[in-house]
Amino acid sequence: MTRHVLSMVLHNVPGALARVVVLFSSRGVDVESLSLDPTERGDVSRMDVVVGLPAGRSPDQLVKQLSRLVDVKSVVAVADQARNQIGA
Amino acid sequence: MDTVTGASSLVRALEDAGCEVVFGIPGGAILPAYDPLLDSAKIRHVLVRHEQGAGHAASGYAQATGRVGVCVATSGPGATNLVTPLADAYMDSVPVVAITGQVNRSVIGTDAFQEADIRSICLPITKHAFQVTEPEDIPAVIAEAFALAAGGRPGPVLVDIPKDVLSATTTYTPALPVHTPKVTPAANEVRRAATLITSASRPVFYIGGGVVRAGAAAELRTLAERTGIPVVTTLMARGAFPDSHRQHLGMPGMHGTVPAVAALQQSDLLIALGTRFDDRVTGVLDLFAPNAAVIHADIDPAEISKNRKADVAIVGDCKDVLVSLIAAVRQAPVLTSWWAYLDGLRDRFPLGYDWPADGKLAPQHVIERIGTLVGPEAIYTSGVGQHQMWAAQYVGYERPGSFINSGGLGTMGFAVPAAMGAQCGVPDRAVWAIDGDGCFQMTNQELVTCALEGIPIKVAVINNGNLGMVRQWQTLFYQGRYSNTGLSTHKRVPDFVALAEALGCAGLRCEEKSEVDDVILRAMEIRDRPVVIDFVVGEDAQVWPMVAAGTGNDEIMTVRDFKPLFDEDL
Repeated sequence: MTRHVLSMVLHNVPGALARVVVLFSSRGVDVESLSLDPTERGDVSRMDVVVGLPAGRSPDQLVKQLSRLVDVKSVVAVADQARNQIGA
Repeated sequence: MDTVTGASSLVRALEDAGCEVVFGIPGGAILPAYDPLLDSAKIRHVLVRHEQGAGHAASGYAQATGRVGVCVATSGPGATNLVTPLADAYMDSVPVVAITGQVNRSVIGTDAFQEADIRSICLPITKHAFQVTEPEDIPAVIAEAFALAAGGRPGPVLVDIPKDVLSATTTYTPALPVHTPKVTPAANEVRRAATLITSASRPVFYIGGGVVRAGAAAELRTLAERTGIPVVTTLMARGAFPDSHRQHLGMPGMHGTVPAVAALQQSDLLIALGTRFDDRVTGVLDLFAPNAAVIHADIDPAEISKNRKADVAIVGDCKDVLVSLIAAVRQAPVLTSWWAYLDGLRDRFPLGYDWPADGKLAPQHVIERIGTLVGPEAIYTSGVGQHQMWAAQYVGYERPGSFINSGGLGTMGFAVPAAMGAQCGVPDRAVWAIDGDGCFQMTNQELVTCALEGIPIKVAVINNGNLGMVRQWQTLFYQGRYSNTGLSTHKRVPDFVALAEALGCAGLRCEEKSEVDDVILRAMEIRDRPVVIDFVVGEDAQVWPMVAAGTGNDEIMTVRDFKPLFDEDL
């Protein structure tokens, strides 16, 4: 497992969080921590997620898959911690 | 701004979106929408017999016309019956909008009668799902749903509307045009691709369904002819390049032709357009095209380098990509020895089949004759299994969109409702469903719809009495232990001719080689109702060539245990 931090901005609409979380489960992504906070703008929320990916799998693919979601306004892998083995 | 009900607003929004036909079944929660539908002069409603049929029909319509297909169902079980066709449309990138009724807003979440959280159920199988909570939002949501379904990489979109939203009084304000952002292929990547193409010695165009969706067949032909590079078309791209063209090597993959599979395996440059390196094409990924550089162009950036790392990545619509490449590729590569090798394979390993030892009809012969007699102007649909592979191999496709089948999800029962939808979209073309006896028993109820609605499809049931592809695997990998694959359809249970008549269709049967042409011609002459032909074929026929699951493409077998490429060097 490698650990990656994703920072996202979501539209504040019903079902947006569910769509992101289902993408994690259907693409085999471990979620280590997840926080969702309102922003000063009422129409978007900020979401920070720490995910675990199987060794050898880069977060780029996941970022692109998240970008496809209509309610995801932006997503970036803020810190690539690929070398930090979870539990090491 | 007119005062209307939510339901009228929905029907007007559908009309404004260009919708001309919807496939559906009414029920409690969607009932308000059916009242104004009765008065619509622009929208034809086709009353299906099962919601799954509505969904596949919408997909068949979309694939035959290039427009968005629409299906309608009520809440709860009506909506959940759409799950399979939505998953199917998602895998094959088909623009479909599904409209479902929902229970009243006040009881959502209370386990009300016929309540299902369809929006959540469909999360992983739709591009997007809306639940309309305010009646005035209906026009904008429908416009956005159509734009999302058709824009970028196409796919299914769900619009769930509570009953009280449909019944409420609201105002109709036509939606503003929805802007779909368009990606222009990056010029530097196109230049790098052109350089690789010009200098390659063993290049191949690996063409996927994205070329069909983009309407880019003409551009593909221009670039292919300018460069002289061989072309392979995947299951979803059959027809994107004419089968009769000298540069076409056929379909690659698990049941691909030897020259098509060899062209990928021995290639030094894959030009992959609108394709996703699916496991049915690549076999074991680590052994796929081991010496090839990869140019991968796709409208969906998430597909690029998903399975195979791309050396040149071009994000964009296949038509735009091809137009850019046509402008950038100035010189054709020298391919004399490459073509000598491929032509040699073509001569030595053509597609072929044996006649069954028991004297029964060869299914491949039946399908080949349908393709020949009905011709390339028709649309062919298929279910999933042996008959689907034979339909991909033995019908000659000359036009994009002329073969409509369930590729990614592999949905048995797709053929009949997809043919129904396709026929509604292109009433002037012949539409033939090439189906299996297993698939046919899953969705043949839609023949009632076809008979009553004047949708004169033809259905060729390739009846081998078995779940044929599963049986083939049992023969090859389970020591011939035929667990639960016999369907008794050779004992006439059901009798497909009598069943066809009962469903309001003409029923024909063919058991002899000498009758095949006659029965196809007779079916072509019947235009006042749908036709079902029961082609009783041998149960032991197998689909060859084959790359067994879990092996590399080099181990392609033309017949059992014969591997022509395995030890061969280029």
